[in-house]
Amino acid sequence: MLVIAMITAIAPVYWMLTISLKREVDQFANPPRWLFFPPTLEHYYDAFVARSFVQYLLTSALVAIASTGCALIIGTLAAYSLARFELPWRLDRKLSLWILSTRMFPAIVTAVPLFLMMRDLGLLDTRLSLIVVYTGFNLPFVIWMMRGFFAEVPRDLEEAAMVDGDSRLGALWRVVLPLVAPGLAATAVFCLIVSWNEFLFALVLTQTDEAMTLPVGIAGRVTQYEIKWGVMSAAGVVAIIPILAFAIAVQRHLVRGLSLGAVKG
Amino acid sequence: MVAPALAVLLSLSIYPLIYSVQISLQTDSPAGPVWGLANFKRLSMDSFFWSAMAHTLIYAVAALLVEFFLGLGLALLLNSNIRGRRFFRATLLIPMMLPTVVVGVVWRLMFNPNFGTINGVLRQLGVITEQLTWTASPRLALAAVIAVDVWQWTPFVFLVLLAGLQAIPQEPYEAARVDGSSSWQTFRHVTLPLLKPAILIVLLLRTMDLLRVFDQIFILTEGGPGFATETVSLYIYRAAFRFTDFGYAAAMSFVLLIITNLISTIYIRLLQSRESVA
Repeated sequence: MLVIAMITAIAPVYWMLTISLKREVDQFANPPRWLFFPPTLEHYYDAFVARSFVQYLLTSALVAIASTGCALIIGTLAAYSLARFELPWRLDRKLSLWILSTRMFPAIVTAVPLFLMMRDLGLLDTRLSLIVVYTGFNLPFVIWMMRGFFAEVPRDLEEAAMVDGDSRLGALWRVVLPLVAPGLAATAVFCLIVSWNEFLFALVLTQTDEAMTLPVGIAGRVTQYEIKWGVMSAAGVVAIIPILAFAIAVQRHLVRGLSLGAVKG
Repeated sequence: MVAPALAVLLSLSIYPLIYSVQISLQTDSPAGPVWGLANFKRLSMDSFFWSAMAHTLIYAVAALLVEFFLGLGLALLLNSNIRGRRFFRATLLIPMMLPTVVVGVVWRLMFNPNFGTINGVLRQLGVITEQLTWTASPRLALAAVIAVDVWQWTPFVFLVLLAGLQAIPQEPYEAARVDGSSSWQTFRHVTLPLLKPAILIVLLLRTMDLLRVFDQIFILTEGGPGFATETVSLYIYRAAFRFTDFGYAAAMSFVLLIITNLISTIYIRLLQSRESVA
């Protein structure tokens, strides 16, 4: 049972890995060769030296890191206030629900107006537009997750620090943040993954190689008439590597993160 | 300190919505934009839109059912201490962490009629003799994209339900054993009610994702062959970015938003009623 489930989960990805390492003659071998074939790195060379995939890779990394940073700064401040201060009319509870529901919108609903807004602002086809959009995308998630982590920190700690002469922001920085650091790190990794994987907005907002992210670059090649399977697979493998590293890093928090904090796994 | 966050959310999710309402109520004419419900009237008679809606619903319901029962079954089977559990969990995480675009590429390779593994394995097992074209066949394409979603997201359902199962304390099970209840009765009257919050959460999250599906289908079939796998999101994308018919696209996205909202409200009601009882 276990083994079947594991093989089912892995086999397709492994298949892509083999295709990326096979010469074109071997790709079409019948019956398919799973293990023994003469390996080649020509597709990786093709993708990352001869074509513009390096550029997509850099754009993806820049956009993911910048948007995650912005979302973390803005989101952590908001989450802390929501966890600590009572707003009138149970507004804090309503606000949190609303923040969560913005994440549940079908992406395409905001993609159309955001495209028009970016066009009017002259930001179409820039990395900045993606950073801004992904910050907005990740923000509800950061607030929701961090609010949960802050709620678990006893108030006495920062009140003691404030009695000792710290400002509230000082207490947050010196006392509370170190305590929620593991949660903060997990949240950051989630934002990185979401931004790295995001496709629809990147597809809509960018057109040229200068601003394209890796998923859009890959997609552009897949839908062409003649598909270079080896190059595609090589790019796919490279797109997966950071994700796997991240996933291992946050394994323990993963269920909680993916279920928006609803289940503490 | 909430102010910057509110400003970002207002400008990136509320303002776009208002903007979207505005353009959905406008249609172009030589004399400039005309206000009215023309886009919504057109939508109600557009058979492409309603067939895209049907595809979306079929896709969502089929994938949800399979993912849920498969995930629940796996979770119940594996709700015990087994060796290598960490490794198992890490492996199962892989599909759902992948960029959807890469999932699309992976499965295009698997479904490829010439060198894809699916045909290769089926032929070796003697199930088929001819080459099935999967994503290029009007009959099989929708099932194929549903299968990909099941592959990617069953592990998620499984992991959430497993976490839910493990949060259930032992006492009710012991009480049930003392009362001599059968394993089905225990499942029906102990496990299921206690697992309900986790079940509702996972169904809610999956439903929202399924209703807006775009990426994998865009890569795998682009909505084809013909329009066999065109979902609402893909149709809206085509209307807006191929035919630059933004008003019509905005109108359609509202219908999608309302349907999504209705369904999520039902789930959230169920969740809250459950919480107030407990």
